[in-house]
Order: sequence, then structure tokens, then C-alpha cells
Amino acid sequence: MTIEEGAKFVAAAYAIILAVLVIYYFMSARRVNTLKRDVELLEQEVQRRLPTAGESGD
Amino acid sequence: MKKLVSAPALFLAAGVLLVAGLLLAFLYSPIDASTMGYSQKIFYYHAPIAETALLAFGISFVAAILYLRSPKPKWDHLGVVSVRLGLVFSVLVMATGMIWGRAAWGRWWDWEPRLTTFLLVCFLYTAYFVLRSVVEEEQRRATFAAVFAIIAFIDVPITFFATRFLPAGMHPTVITASGTGMPGSMFVSFFISMIGMTLLLVALIRRDLGVEDLRDRVADLKHSIGG
Repeated sequence: MTIEEGAKFVAAAYAIILAVLVIYYFMSARRVNTLKRDVELLEQEVQRRLPTAGESGD
Repeated sequence: MKKLVSAPALFLAAGVLLVAGLLLAFLYSPIDASTMGYSQKIFYYHAPIAETALLAFGISFVAAILYLRSPKPKWDHLGVVSVRLGLVFSVLVMATGMIWGRAAWGRWWDWEPRLTTFLLVCFLYTAYFVLRSVVEEEQRRATFAAVFAIIAFIDVPITFFATRFLPAGMHPTVITASGTGMPGSMFVSFFISMIGMTLLLVALIRRDLGVEDLRDRVADLKHSIGG
């Protein structure tokens, strides 16, 4: 096998590795951001409901 | 929790080592003199990814035992995160291994011991997620998954030792009791890539554990507002 032929296989292998790892990294980062936003919104909602509950109890 | 989600230093260290390993593999390590020739360069990531996949399954095995001893959600989280990452790395091992096989042996696949047992590992840990998806109740799901992870792990050492105990296969053995069987210039590239890949696994586990914690927090908050 010539170096040129071997290089095609090597390039394909490393391209797959890079693609999968980068995709996983960014998918994971996106998941973190979505969940952080959800937590933020839900915490706001909890805070919003707390005084309401206090007022209704008075 | 923030500390768990972002682990930039670990990611950076892993990235630097992986790039260094790759540069050394192409610029410093010699072209393999055997029949593999230039395509042997695949090895510098293929083997570390394989070892890392098996390490991830090892971590899930330990997490499963810890969960059964003391059923805390953190052990279940560690188990599921490790298996998921182990599977991602396994997919990479299979893909790069098939490309390597095509270049070295002239065919994409061979039913030889290492490849067959590794494929079985992939199927077993895919079944782990199928099992998790069919059990509704949280604690039962975690217990069943832990038991399954322990059973599935039986195939991991079989895969690791397949080329050592069943030498009839085509897959080469990199690390043996007598050494690595490669010159120092190759070993340096391989070793740096190995450390880099292991650090990448640790960084990803840390971040994915943060994701699991955030999921729990979302569930708790939804529960507290009656959602």
C-alpha cells in the first residue's frame, strides 16, 4: 500500500473521531445550557409563587 | 454544581495532549515497517480510544457495585454517564477499527475473537439503555441497571484478554507482559494520546454528571410547583 492510499484511510479514521467527539461535546454543551435555563425559569416560578402563597394565607 | 458542569482545565489539558500526540504520531513516529505501512497511524488514537471505552465500562461496573451497596442517585448517575460515554468511544473504536481492518487486512470485518467480543460489548451496553427505558420507577430502574452493568462487565476483561489468550486472531496485541512491542518513538506518541484520551473521558464524565444533577434539579423544581 502506498503512502497516498494509506493516507486516505488515516484521514477517514481521524475525520470520524473528530466529528463524533465534536458533535458529542457540543450536544452536551447545548444540553447543559438548556437545563440551566430551565432551572433558572423554574426557580423564578417558585419565587413568584412563594409570596402569593404567603398572601393567600394571611 | 457549577464546578462539575464546567471543567475547562481538564478539557484544555486533554485537547493539548491529544493534539501533541497526533503531531508526534505524524511528525516524529516512523512509518510502520510492516505490511500496514502508513495506515498504522490510525493506531495512535484507535488503541487509546479502545482502552478508554473499556475504562468507562470499568467505572460503570464500580458505580454499579457502589449503588447496590448504598443506593444513592450519584452512583446511578455515574453508571449511566460512564456507559453512555463508553458506548460513544466504542462506536469510534468500531469505526476506526473497520477502516484499519480494510487497510491492513483488506476487509472491513472479521469474526475473530477481539472484534467479536468488542461487538458483543457494544450490544450488551446498548441493552443497558433499553433496560433503563422500560423500567418506570426510578429506584427499580437504577437497581436493575446496576445489576445489568455488573453482568455486562463480564465481557470487558474477555475482550481485553482475547488477543492474549486466543492468539489465533488477526488483531495485534499492543501491551503484553513483556512490554509494548513498539519502538520508543511510537510509544511516546501512543502514551501521550492515551493520557489525553483518558483526561477527555474524565472531563466528559464530570460534565455529564453535571447534566444529570441539573436534570434532577429540574425534576425537583417541577415537582415543587406541581408541574
